[in-house]
Amino acid sequence: MSISIQNLNKQFGTYKALDNINLEVNSGELLALLGPSGCGKTTLLRIIGGMELADFGKLLFNGEDVEQRDARERNVGFVFQHYALFRHMTVFENVAFGLRVKPKKERPNEAEIKRRVHELLSLVQLDWLHDRYPAQLSGGQRQRIALARALAVEPKILLLDEPFGALDAQVRKELRRWLRRLHDELHITSVFVTHDQEEALEVADRVVVMNKGVIEQVGTPDEVYAAPATSFVYQFIGNVNLFHSRDHAPWTSEHGDVVAYVRPHDIDISTTRQDETSLPVEVKLVRAIGSIVRVEVAADGSSEFIEIELSRERFDAAPLANGDRVFIRPRQFRVFEEASAA
Amino acid sequence: MATQQRRISTRESKGITLLLIGIALGYLFLFLGLPLIAVFVEALSKGWDLYWQALVEPDALSAVRLTLLVAAIAVPANLVFGIAASWAIAKFEFKGKSLLITFIDLPFAVSPVVSGLIYVLLFGAQGWLGPWLQAHDIKLIFAVPGIVLATIFVTFPFIARELIPLMQAQGKEEEEAAVSLGATGWQTFWRVTLPNIKWGLLYGVILCNARAMGEFGAVSVVSGHIRGMTTTMPLHVEITYNEYNFVAAFAVASLLALLALVTLGIKSLVEWQAKRSGEPLHGAH
Repeated sequence: MSISIQNLNKQFGTYKALDNINLEVNSGELLALLGPSGCGKTTLLRIIGGMELADFGKLLFNGEDVEQRDARERNVGFVFQHYALFRHMTVFENVAFGLRVKPKKERPNEAEIKRRVHELLSLVQLDWLHDRYPAQLSGGQRQRIALARALAVEPKILLLDEPFGALDAQVRKELRRWLRRLHDELHITSVFVTHDQEEALEVADRVVVMNKGVIEQVGTPDEVYAAPATSFVYQFIGNVNLFHSRDHAPWTSEHGDVVAYVRPHDIDISTTRQDETSLPVEVKLVRAIGSIVRVEVAADGSSEFIEIELSRERFDAAPLANGDRVFIRPRQFRVFEEASAA
Repeated sequence: MATQQRRISTRESKGITLLLIGIALGYLFLFLGLPLIAVFVEALSKGWDLYWQALVEPDALSAVRLTLLVAAIAVPANLVFGIAASWAIAKFEFKGKSLLITFIDLPFAVSPVVSGLIYVLLFGAQGWLGPWLQAHDIKLIFAVPGIVLATIFVTFPFIARELIPLMQAQGKEEEEAAVSLGATGWQTFWRVTLPNIKWGLLYGVILCNARAMGEFGAVSVVSGHIRGMTTTMPLHVEITYNEYNFVAAFAVASLLALLALVTLGIKSLVEWQAKRSGEPLHGAH
């Protein structure tokens, strides 16, 4: 089921949580709403789910206006950051809940409920936990049960609010891949909220980058990383070095008063001055992190560190040590007006 | 040796420990244990026969009946109100919320005698609504309805006060989850909200009931002390005591004391059950 959001606005007191949002979610895709906390992404998700009402604007499911329908009638599965499992019910009863509260004529019989719940528990690979209580489960298990519970009512849309936010790094990574596989199996239109760019880029078909209640960019993970539309996206996704033309960015001279954005892996280091645009720097710190080597340098007379990432091979071909004086030059950069830069 | 002299600095010597425990226990015995024993000793001072007669005497029986009736009305009334108010306060944002919380606390803040007096001023013969009530032949003050009203007022906060912090700590995510799974408001309440607060609710009901049965001040003002008609158990104790009928006074008092002991027993049981089931009785403090 596709979702269409048109001119959506939401204000809390004097604070504008959503400022004229327009967004199309295609049927069957997995979309990430990515942004720092307070950017409005959760509010947008809750409005789609019917837990919050927009001040004005349109919300359509498959072209049909759903604003008058409350959460119960939208057929949307919602997965909460803190799971929100029913603490007094077993895992089985949690998953069965959506089936048990159906109106009498739609409600499946006990045998059918049993079959469906066990099927869903097998889908999330936790059937063996069916008689436990939520308090007896780990965070990752709870989140998978929450997902099984949401899927029990066969929603046309699945909404996930920071689904992995409360989990530790290792479990997060695992669940991420698992969610992606599950989505490829089920093809439910899914929207998930995250503040973790790695999560969004790894899992989603498309990423919506939000900041301060507005959408900064919508695109595939590759697009938002390789071709950021705004300075905010540049900074928020991936690491970036900022070079202010008035301080130290000799290669931006023809652009006027601007800031150049350069990815750490787009910087060349050489021991000799190539031309006028090379920037002389001193190596401050060399750290090898797995397959890459991170070098931090500082321009003469500047306390700001510039981050450079080299592959292990390139570093080994021309090793550096703290205190070395070298020249750097970006292979690629983008300039933004000084005023518009975040 | 240095090791022998080592002492945990937060632990007092044995003598002081015993002294402190002794003082605490002595205090408890003097102010709580001794009076409780006295009640039963006095009640039974003239033997079991007289004790029994004091309890089955018509005025005493009527006082017990009235007390049970009042509690049977006041507790369910405050149960419904308490759940509704704490649900609204804990799960929703609305204007006047803090005012509502203040109003719930009001009966705790004013003296019970004043609470009773308010009803006399409102509904009494000389009160604001007195003439209207008289014209319609409705009698509230110096009658059972007045006693019920005063008791409801005094026991107003017990259940709500117990539930508000508990429900606030639980948040509303589970209710939102239930609704997103297709549950109606009623289904959400019966299947999710109520089971989550059951122990806290029971705890509040027990306290509310104990107070409803034991209330003296407010009830005394509105009752009119008509024997066999408008005296509750605490009032019966006072009346018989003032008539130097000590056995009768202490016999009914011993019933109230028993009620207190039973209440404490159930309260501990509820606390133990709640702990065992892993559901906190009170909100996070």
